[in-house]
Amino acid sequence: MLKGLGILMRKWFKRWLPAFLLGLVGAAVVLIGVFYFELISRRIYEDSTGHLEEIYGQVNRSFGAFIDRNWGILNGWGDSFSLTSDEANAEVAELIREEQDYWGFSDFYFLSADGGCVTLDGTESSLVLEGAWDSLMTEREPVMTGEKLPAGQDVIVFAVPVQRGFYKGFAFDAIAVSYTNADMARSLNVEAFSGKARCFVIHGDGTVLLSTQTGGNVFGNYLVYLKAASDLSEARLSRLQEDWERGASGILQCRIGGDVNCVLYQPVGYRDYILLSAVPQSVISAGFLAVQKTTMNVLLVIFLLVGIAAAALLIWRGRAQSRRSRMELQYRELMFDVLSNSVDDIFIMLNGENHSVDYISPNIERLLGIPVSEAKADIRVMEKCAVNYDVVIPRGELAAIPIGGNRYWECEYMHQTTGERRWYRMTVYHTSIQNVVKYVIVLSDRTQEQQMNQKLQEALTAARSANEAKSNFLSNMSHDIRTPMNAIVGFSVLLEKDADQADKVREYTRKIMASSHHLLSLINDVLDMSKIESGKTSLNVDRFSLPELLEELSIILMPQAKAKKQSFEIHVQGTPPEQLIGDKLRLNQILINLLSNAVKYTPEGGAIEFTVCELSQAQSQSQAVQQYVKLRFTVKDNGIGMSEEFQKHVFAPFSREISSVTNKIQGTGLGMAITKNLVDLMGGIIQLESEPGRGSTFTVELSFALPEQEDERSWLTRQVTRVLVADDEEEICRDIEELMRDTGVEISSVTTGDAAVEAAVSAHARGEDFHVILLDWKMPGVDGVEAARRIRSQVGTDVPILVLTSYDWSDIETEARQAGINAFMPKPFFVSTFWQTIEPLFTDITVRDEEHASAEAVHGVMEGRLFLVAEDNELNAEILTEMLDIEGAKCELAVNGQEAVEMFERSEPGYYDMILMDVQMPVMNGYEATRRIRSGSHPEAKTIPIAAMTANTFAEDVRDAMASGMDGHLAKPIDMDAVRSLVGRLLNRTKDTSEREG
Amino acid sequence: MKRRRISTLLTLLVSAVCLTACGGGEQSGQEKVTLSVMGRKSDMEKSYMTTLFRHYETTTGNQLNIITIEDAEFETEAAKRFEAGNVPDVFMHFHNADLSRFHVEDNFCYLNDESWVGDLADSARAYCEDRDGNLLGLPFWESSVSGCYYNKTLLDSLGLKPAATQAEFDMLCRALAEIGYTPVCWPADGCTWMFQFGLDPIFADDPDLLGKLNRNEITYSEIPEVTDMVQWVKNAADNGWFGDDYLKTGWSDISSALGSGEAVMTFIWDTWFYTDFDPESRYTVDDFAVMPVFMNTADGGTYEGGNLNMMMVNKNGAHTEEALEFLRFCAAPENYNVAFDGISTVSCFKGQTTNIQSKMVTDARASIDEKERVSTAATRIVGYSADDVAAAFDSLLRGKTDAAGCVKLMDQYRIEEAEAQGADGF
Repeated sequence: MLKGLGILMRKWFKRWLPAFLLGLVGAAVVLIGVFYFELISRRIYEDSTGHLEEIYGQVNRSFGAFIDRNWGILNGWGDSFSLTSDEANAEVAELIREEQDYWGFSDFYFLSADGGCVTLDGTESSLVLEGAWDSLMTEREPVMTGEKLPAGQDVIVFAVPVQRGFYKGFAFDAIAVSYTNADMARSLNVEAFSGKARCFVIHGDGTVLLSTQTGGNVFGNYLVYLKAASDLSEARLSRLQEDWERGASGILQCRIGGDVNCVLYQPVGYRDYILLSAVPQSVISAGFLAVQKTTMNVLLVIFLLVGIAAAALLIWRGRAQSRRSRMELQYRELMFDVLSNSVDDIFIMLNGENHSVDYISPNIERLLGIPVSEAKADIRVMEKCAVNYDVVIPRGELAAIPIGGNRYWECEYMHQTTGERRWYRMTVYHTSIQNVVKYVIVLSDRTQEQQMNQKLQEALTAARSANEAKSNFLSNMSHDIRTPMNAIVGFSVLLEKDADQADKVREYTRKIMASSHHLLSLINDVLDMSKIESGKTSLNVDRFSLPELLEELSIILMPQAKAKKQSFEIHVQGTPPEQLIGDKLRLNQILINLLSNAVKYTPEGGAIEFTVCELSQAQSQSQAVQQYVKLRFTVKDNGIGMSEEFQKHVFAPFSREISSVTNKIQGTGLGMAITKNLVDLMGGIIQLESEPGRGSTFTVELSFALPEQEDERSWLTRQVTRVLVADDEEEICRDIEELMRDTGVEISSVTTGDAAVEAAVSAHARGEDFHVILLDWKMPGVDGVEAARRIRSQVGTDVPILVLTSYDWSDIETEARQAGINAFMPKPFFVSTFWQTIEPLFTDITVRDEEHASAEAVHGVMEGRLFLVAEDNELNAEILTEMLDIEGAKCELAVNGQEAVEMFERSEPGYYDMILMDVQMPVMNGYEATRRIRSGSHPEAKTIPIAAMTANTFAEDVRDAMASGMDGHLAKPIDMDAVRSLVGRLLNRTKDTSEREG
Repeated sequence: MKRRRISTLLTLLVSAVCLTACGGGEQSGQEKVTLSVMGRKSDMEKSYMTTLFRHYETTTGNQLNIITIEDAEFETEAAKRFEAGNVPDVFMHFHNADLSRFHVEDNFCYLNDESWVGDLADSARAYCEDRDGNLLGLPFWESSVSGCYYNKTLLDSLGLKPAATQAEFDMLCRALAEIGYTPVCWPADGCTWMFQFGLDPIFADDPDLLGKLNRNEITYSEIPEVTDMVQWVKNAADNGWFGDDYLKTGWSDISSALGSGEAVMTFIWDTWFYTDFDPESRYTVDDFAVMPVFMNTADGGTYEGGNLNMMMVNKNGAHTEEALEFLRFCAAPENYNVAFDGISTVSCFKGQTTNIQSKMVTDARASIDEKERVSTAATRIVGYSADDVAAAFDSLLRGKTDAAGCVKLMDQYRIEEAEAQGADGF
């Protein structure tokens, strides 16, 4: 307690000591000043009264001299007067008159002892000489007295006794002169203190005899005046009167009106006359005060100058200090700015009272996208980029932090412009400098650490997931590989056992082949996925026909759907372009995967719809001639659907939904992953909507470039100008009309079979038969086949009739042809398909026969051929040898590329019909061997057909094979149908070339 | 005093009886006439006037047709009547510049040769003369002496004396002011007479200067004494000699200021103390005395004689001689002493004995006789208007102009008025 009090006292003392000392010095200065002024004032008073006494002592002496002089003059004149001669006296009087101006008196008088009085001009006058008459006439003494003339004028009279004389008959005993007050003042010429002093000659009772002031006198009794006008007490006034009555001298100070006056009195030395002066103290001391004032002014100026100099010095030093401080601050800020710009930590200083921003590091703009000015204006702007925080800086909690302490929060921010997430640890330090509270906030960047943690977490999750997936994969693969392998091994054992039973051999062989095909597809998928994931997959972009693609899909999928009694419909919405530029193979793979899955996961009797929709066409910015089209492929089924959980990772590799249904369905779990990757590779998107038990809908959107229009079809040359279309769906009719608009062909549409028959018959009757009639197969009422039959019965066989169907028409083909239908055309309707379908109908039948013969020839193309086979694997070589043998062909084996090259070089021209080249072989691979052959000197080096026969089955492998000079590609395991087809094609080409060259 | 009044009345009655008994005396053989006498209503109803009229009719047997005009309309109405040719036998009017509208030279007799002229008090005669010294009328009015009336009792109690010179007056003012008194009560609000006191000595002492001014040959601005007077008023006001509220002090404030002792002096006339001064004041009329007015235009100061009503005789009328006889009747001591018996006034006639003169005046008689000047500024300066001069001083005292500017304004107003009157030279 005492210690705390002591600290408090010391603090208080330290804080207030300068003010206390300053006050002490100020008080001392004031006291010294007061003392000094008191001393000076007293000294001035003493000096000034002394000065006053000196001045009026001189005045008094002058006045006495004035009296004596007047009496002296009068005595002189008195002596001049003759006792008897009136005339002589007249001359004297004339002399006096002449000197009147010089002496300054007003009048001259002759006085007689009996009271008579005449002036110089002989005029009778009157002088009373109150109180002095006896002295003059009886005691024969000179006198001076005041006199009030009959006109009321106050004058001073000087008179001296003379010997009796006569003047103008008047007997006089004394002579006198009178002075008005003004005359006296002029004669005395007492003008002390610049006329601001009053000076009187008074009687002892205070009656004013005269005033030395020029201009006159208005004071009658100065004692009375002092009584009325001064602050003198009665006692002092009484003492003053006593002084005057006894002819004492003295000096006193009193206030008259507003001014302090010094009243000085001295006896004149004649009768009770007293010389009295009253002078304002300010006037007396004016000189001293002026000196004092000057001294004070000088001192003041010195103090001021010293003060100004000190102030200037202080200001200069303060400014210099301030400038240095400012510069240091600026340097510090600059350094801090540079420093903060080079780091990702943000520094803020807040005012403790109002939370205004004192400082904020400029890197906030770089790190959070907040302009410094905005943050400085209001720190709350940071709340805009807060993630999951309502208040970024918890200002309400700042005050709770003890001074000198700190607290931290973990924060996440999002960059205002880039959206980049950043993580910070916000540490708030509560400080107090000179009782000013500040909060220093340091936002330490934890982004890298956070991101690393996230990546580690993701990597861990990914690793776990991958591990899990691979475990699943291995498990699946183990199961999926072992299952067909088990069949293959098992049936191989049975085959060996029952080798002598032909039926069982065929059965076991068929099952072994089925299992082998499944195993092969499994291996293909795995390899395909591996290739995609390794990033080595590239697109083989080329022109392709959309109708052809759809037809192929229909051909592939229709049988599968049919096998499960599912409906399979292909729809085309809008008028998508028929020719596209893209990777047909990969598109095919995507769509087959989706459609196969739809068939696979849709129960028997289900429905599968495949829709192609044109979303938009766009002109390329770079090539005016090239356009793009965006197509949406939708595969919809009403199958088993997928759970919501599974939908989340349906595109993940090795993912298969486990259920009682799916367990019975074979699959690698890679199909959808491959599909997704291929869509991504093609720059498209794939979406899924599914509901368990209700089916799934996959939507794929892809963009394709459009080739230049090369419509070489000439409908008019084929004389096809009128076509009748019958379809119960009006939309299809409109689509066909739209698609055929630019061909110049007139389309007549009807929606029933009866209407079609009527239209055809009617046209025939007019002699304007339709050039082609296109009938939907399945129409309510009269279907397409029946309608064709009726048309044929009335119109004849000249008009080609086609059936448009989305169904497999193989079952009705025979009936349809008997009804008179010339051809079938798959839905959806494409102009190119239509042309391709009807074009043969207008071509010579011989051409078709040749083509048919050529197709048949392929079947015997292998017979008698000799192949040079390069195969390092003995087993594969043996299998191939046996298979060729079955086909009636022979082969010679080379164990590597080098040997194959040498054997070919050694052979006679025409010895080998074709070379089947493995790719991966020791010594020399197939590509190199092919290049050597092609560059060799053998006459058939350039023409001998060379086909790759390899397990490298990717598109890139095919491309590499062609690039090395090969003519074809056969994938292992060898499919003899593919071999036959390729051999037929290549050998026929060679034959044509030979014929042309021959 | 009372005894003398009774004896006078007895004398009048005896005389009246005798005259009646004599059947008209000297005029018994003459035909009785009726004289028309025109004047301001309030003037004509003064007691000494009605006494005189009655006394005349009784004594002479003639009749007087007293034509009175309301005060407010007097000047214009009388002028109209003159214009219409209705000039009375006797016309009563103050002698001032406005008399010009009545065409004095054309309408009235000069009275220089009348027998009673020698009986006129000097100041009264001077008052009734025109610029050429012609006596225009018989002064018959109560008169007063304008001067600086001061509280003698108060001054004595302060040990001070009245001033005899301008310098002493200034000293006196300074001495009074410094001990807290208002030296001069200066009723600047609505009172207009003070300024003419200062101007009187300038023009009364120098008739040539007055002549030049009235012929528009010189202006106030060219007369240094006028500017001196104006500057003195300004200095006095600035020095506090008029007190603090002199601009708000008016006619009704003079009595209380003097009666209370707050103010010591004022420029006024003696009869004011009998008509407007509150007799219940702390100081009474007996406490006051008079000294000359000092306004820096006469070193010894000045008194202004009374502003008198005078009776003029129509020289073109049918009864000119009878009218002159009427004036002679009025100027006879036995008659004017009857009329002015007991009236407080300065004497117009030397033989005036029954009137009452104030002690203030009688005490200062020597000084008054020496320094009294006829009212010159107000009566002799063409275009002079007390209101106009007061307006010019108001601008000065309110700080709107300086002394030179004030004098210019005085000139401007004077010349405008003279031009309005159609005075010669303007």
